[in-house]
Amino acid sequence: MTDNVQGNGAEVFSDATQVAGTGEVMIELTAVDKFFGDFQALANINMRVGKQEVVVVIGPSGSGKSTMIRCINRLEEHDAGRIVVDGTELSDDIRNIQEVRRETGMVFQQFNLFPHLTVMDNITLGPRQVRNLPKKEAEDLAMDLLTKVKIPEQARKFPGQLSGGQQQRVAIARSLAMNPKVMLFDEPTSALDPEMIKEVLDTMKELAESGMTMIVVTHEMGFAREVADRVVFMADGEIVEVGTPQHFFESPTEDRTKLFLSQIL
Amino acid sequence: MTDPQFPMTQTELGAEEPIAIPVAESGPRQKLPPGKWLRRNLFNNWYNSLLTIVIGALLLFVAVRAFSFVFITGRWEPVRANLTLFQIGTFPRDEEWRVVAQVLIWTAALGLGVGAAVAGAKFRALQAGVEYVTDPALDRLKRYWALVLLLLVWLFFADTIGPLLLTVASLALAWGGYAAASRVSGPNVGLLWSVVGVLGVLGFQIVSGFFGLGWLWMGLPIAVAVYALLGRPDTDDVKRQRRIQLIGVLVTFAVLFGVYTAVDSVGVEWDDWEGLQLNLLAAAIAIALSFPLGLLLALARRSSFPALRVMATTYIEIIRGVPLISLLLMAQFFIGFFLNTDTPLSLFTRAIAAMTLFTAAYVAEIVRGGLQAVPKGQMEAGNSIGLPAWKVTQLIVLPQALRAVIPAMVGQFISLFKDTSLLLIIGKLELLGVREIVHGQPDFRGFGIAESLVYVAFVFWAISFTMSRESQRLERKLGVGER
Repeated sequence: MTDNVQGNGAEVFSDATQVAGTGEVMIELTAVDKFFGDFQALANINMRVGKQEVVVVIGPSGSGKSTMIRCINRLEEHDAGRIVVDGTELSDDIRNIQEVRRETGMVFQQFNLFPHLTVMDNITLGPRQVRNLPKKEAEDLAMDLLTKVKIPEQARKFPGQLSGGQQQRVAIARSLAMNPKVMLFDEPTSALDPEMIKEVLDTMKELAESGMTMIVVTHEMGFAREVADRVVFMADGEIVEVGTPQHFFESPTEDRTKLFLSQIL
Repeated sequence: MTDPQFPMTQTELGAEEPIAIPVAESGPRQKLPPGKWLRRNLFNNWYNSLLTIVIGALLLFVAVRAFSFVFITGRWEPVRANLTLFQIGTFPRDEEWRVVAQVLIWTAALGLGVGAAVAGAKFRALQAGVEYVTDPALDRLKRYWALVLLLLVWLFFADTIGPLLLTVASLALAWGGYAAASRVSGPNVGLLWSVVGVLGVLGFQIVSGFFGLGWLWMGLPIAVAVYALLGRPDTDDVKRQRRIQLIGVLVTFAVLFGVYTAVDSVGVEWDDWEGLQLNLLAAAIAIALSFPLGLLLALARRSSFPALRVMATTYIEIIRGVPLISLLLMAQFFIGFFLNTDTPLSLFTRAIAAMTLFTAAYVAEIVRGGLQAVPKGQMEAGNSIGLPAWKVTQLIVLPQALRAVIPAMVGQFISLFKDTSLLLIIGKLELLGVREIVHGQPDFRGFGIAESLVYVAFVFWAISFTMSRESQRLERKLGVGER
């Protein structure tokens, strides 16, 4: 088993580090390990994401998908290896961490909107507090973004008054307000009722078309097939297989990928 | 058994006796005629009827005895004759005008404050596009029925026109302040709060005097107003504006420092504040100081710096294991050993210090509970938009944490207010202490003892009860818009 994995490792390495998009590298993970106590959540992760590329990460639960993208903006600290985002390496230096976080937007499964603030204040908080934007300018920006995600009329409401799909779109607008270079999506539709999934996926699709660099952890295979430049399949903390959606869904090579796809499709 | 209120299903299911499950309670609760209500709720079977009769008789007995105690046999002369003593103790009588001024200023501030809260709520409702509903005036009065009752008791006991005039004047000021403030337009509400703050400090200093560090306290609300006034929301150069605001704040403090140094008028010594006035002031000051201290302790206890964490934890656990009385006695006898001041601190200051240090430990634990209740995702969301850790705490975690612990916090403050009666032990003449003096007077020795105790208890109750009710209301109000 171990031999087998290592044997594939070389192949996977060359594959996962080739980038689509413009060809410039935006995110680079080199030999990243992550442990939770004795449990190894990430094992020797090597991956590159190119500028304007959309990478969809799939895999069974517990495979380390979320942990990987949470490492990219330091919500989790990796234990070994290197993570470089747009030329800045994540280290213990808090300035580097802040720098990376400013450049990366994150959308969570549970939305994580601030319930004590209005939709408007949720979105303007980052621009005003981090980028020191004047109030007026921040609010104009927020209204633009709310129009983009098609809920400008909800600006003065509190998150608790919105539907799940609307909340997630506010969360996307909140991240975009920081004008990030990369957007990370951590199972953005998993907590939504079925009828609201589409509105969020549509928003993400438009974002991808606008040229945003995105890493999306999701179980939405339709989205992966349609929008992804590359699909990354993870299991047991490792990257098992990488490929274009076409390759991935039609002629997967790895047994674990085949098993996973047979279970969900 | 064939009561039409209970449908057949009950007996069909084999229930021997219909269990009193309210069946027809869907929809708005219908009002029953009193006879029917009685039969259904109090006399619906033999043992409930028996219970109703026994308890009813007991209640009637207590009510009759209480009535006769209050209105017939009770000897309220000791209270009636010493009403001023109960309110302000042996506060110098030729300085009484200061207390009167304080009451007037603070009631005006109270009216303005409530008005400001209403104006703020109106503004937020307007922005959110929902209609702002005010409670009818009668409902608002009902909320304060305990305080109204207390006021009526005082007016009933008073034998001069003074208290009535003061009551009318302060009610008029409070109402006027409320009416004016509640009409202020949204963006100016912040300034209104500064006015409330200035009046609050002024009310305090009209008694204590305008000297020493007084400029610092008076400067705080004014500086906030100056800072806000110098701000322009649409400015392009945020850095330059911050500089201007900072200069404005510094100038404010400098001017006030000059004024206070020039005036330098000492009022009434803190140790001369007695009676109910002492209880209220001691509680208010200790609350105002223990809240920020407790907040800092709670944050320190969760800090990632081990030294801070250990210090905060040690402090909290030591203080929580010690009775307040022992702290008060320590404050009375040996706080001077630790503090080398030229003039010894007033007993009042030392007592406040003890009560503040004591309450802060409890506040810290309450706040810590609130901090733990904020989901981790909130911090992650804050981090992910690039906020530094302290801003995540200040803008995201604390507002939610504090909102969640309002009831527990107010409970702690009520208990602090009642604990001010312990000042009696260290020789301060607070409300309960005044009672001892009263019964030391030759005229009132040995009678009306129960009556004066009931009076003191009633005063504490009326104030605590109102605080508790207000906290419940605040909790309900802040719940709006929560997820």
